[in-house]
Amino acid sequence: MMIRVDGLRKTYRMGNVEVRALDGVTLDVAGGEFVGITGPSGSGKSTLLHLIGLLDEPTAGSISVQGVDVLRLTDDERTHFRLTRIGYIFQDYALVPDLTALENVFLPTLARGMAEYDGLERAAALLRRVGLEERTDHLPAELSGGEQQRIAIARALVNEPALLLADEPCANLDTHASEMVLDLFARINREFGQTVLMVSHEESHQRYFTRTVRLQDGVVVDDSGRASGDGDDDQARGRGDASIYPVPFHHDHGDP
Amino acid sequence: MLERERVSVYLAWRSLARGSRTSLLLNVAIIGLVFTNMILLPSIISGSVDLFNQQTIDYQTSDILVRPAEGEQYIERVGTLLETIDRVPGVRRASARHAIGATLLARNRSVSVPVTALNPRDEVEVTTIHERMKDGEFFAGGERGEILVGQFVSGSEDAREDLFTSLGGVRVGERIEVAFANGVIRDYVVKGIYETRSYLVDYSALITWEELESVMDGQVDEATEVLVRTDRAHELGVVKRGLLEAGVQEEVKTWREAITSAVEESIETFGIINSISMLVSLVIAVVVIFIVITIKAMNQRRQIAILKAIGIHRGVIIRSYLLQVLAICTLGTLVGLVAVGGIEAWFTAHPLIFPDGELVPRFDPAALVENAAWLFVVSLIAGYIPAWRITRETVLSGMRAA
Repeated sequence: MMIRVDGLRKTYRMGNVEVRALDGVTLDVAGGEFVGITGPSGSGKSTLLHLIGLLDEPTAGSISVQGVDVLRLTDDERTHFRLTRIGYIFQDYALVPDLTALENVFLPTLARGMAEYDGLERAAALLRRVGLEERTDHLPAELSGGEQQRIAIARALVNEPALLLADEPCANLDTHASEMVLDLFARINREFGQTVLMVSHEESHQRYFTRTVRLQDGVVVDDSGRASGDGDDDQARGRGDASIYPVPFHHDHGDP
Repeated sequence: MLERERVSVYLAWRSLARGSRTSLLLNVAIIGLVFTNMILLPSIISGSVDLFNQQTIDYQTSDILVRPAEGEQYIERVGTLLETIDRVPGVRRASARHAIGATLLARNRSVSVPVTALNPRDEVEVTTIHERMKDGEFFAGGERGEILVGQFVSGSEDAREDLFTSLGGVRVGERIEVAFANGVIRDYVVKGIYETRSYLVDYSALITWEELESVMDGQVDEATEVLVRTDRAHELGVVKRGLLEAGVQEEVKTWREAITSAVEESIETFGIINSISMLVSLVIAVVVIFIVITIKAMNQRRQIAILKAIGIHRGVIIRSYLLQVLAICTLGTLVGLVAVGGIEAWFTAHPLIFPDGELVPRFDPAALVENAAWLFVVSLIAGYIPAWRITRETVLSGMRAA
């Protein structure tokens, strides 16, 4: 199982008021699924994604990703886990403003320890895949929202993550740019078997998902199209005929 | 682990290259000025100490000073002693001096100063007073009835211009009356006025040894001190040892040893002022770097959170800021070195005019290195604290920062 979430709770305290963002979410995601997490504002969608993406810590419950109990990891191990196994795409792109498109995508490979030449080649290839080969030397401020989000997707993919998490990636994009981004996610999922977990509150996005999980008031109220049985994590990698990655990675043996 | 350092360097370099040029230049300029400030006052103090030391050697003690043995008032049989000293390897020349208390009278004014008798042929070999004649001439040798006075003894016609009581601007060729401590009173013609800018030397008077013998009414074979000039090739300590081994029974001191404790205390006080100045400069550097990095990191809170979110370790981010501090300090220090070089060149050509002489600031390479090292150390600490504090923030709160 790619993701196994059990009894996840997250409580915030706002002054004297206790806010239950998640109230016992249990969820399994198999490798290769493209799961859409939907629900109204305040339903806990982003909170769930933050917790799975190791950007926040739950009040109670457990999370395992690829069989790793991620809540037991140290801060350093969590950072390394995010670098090597999770690709995160934010609503507002979250690119490093001082780095060009190519450098933004290249940076995680450098942090992973890949040779500079290979990392740059891989980053350039991914930018070609997302249709930005002409924009590699541009700074984020010189690019449109759709272009920035495609860079963010390339960056999220560059280290061959087991899991791609996207938090309302089309929220700041117009319809055309949104379709381009969603098509890209669908293609990555379909052709390369990439597991994708995407938060979206747009009904129109649901047609891209292979499964939709609906949250309301911090609990799962609908889980349609759920894959039957345990998905094979390796199913994801093996499904696509071609690799999205032009330069093979020597996977870390020391990953947590 | 090396990949983490690579990422730090990569981020630091990109941040410096793509960040505000104006801000970078301003920071470098501030550090450059701080470095220059750290160096300048100590260099003036060093120059001042050098000046004092040189004046001591040139006008008062020469390289080695021989004084009467403890409990004695005079060096007896000084003629024999001079011959002994002159034979010691490394000695270029020795000159005997005999100081006697006297009151000088002229223009209805009087001053009480020591009058020192000397042999001009020896004296010109051991001191450089003869090169510092403000008016008139130095003794040629054997003069009688003539006297040389220091500039503070001659003084000015307007007493308000004098630092000390003077003879009211007495000039070369004028006659002055000298009442010696032994009761002898003589009239002398002022042969010359010397200006060494050393207060002690310029408030004295000189006569020849022959004149002293006339005043004492007999041959004088005793001195109050003997000044010894050495060859530059010889270590002073070695020559001093040579003097002692040659049988010199008197008190033998190198010029540095002869400097009084009061002077040593002055030099120590200079050292304290120096340390305070350095401390203030370092505090300025700490504050500047702290503010620079705090502002930079605060403005990049979101960027820091992004980097952490994509899996860049906190230590990598902190090190990238420290590398930026190092770069700013390195550039600032280089700017400071250029400024110091310029200042040195300027003051070498145009020395600072102090009442006690022309002062050329001395830039000690060891002090340059030490100050630069301190600047780097405190800057790194000052840069580390805000970077450490801001990178502690959680990813989500950092991401929410505007």
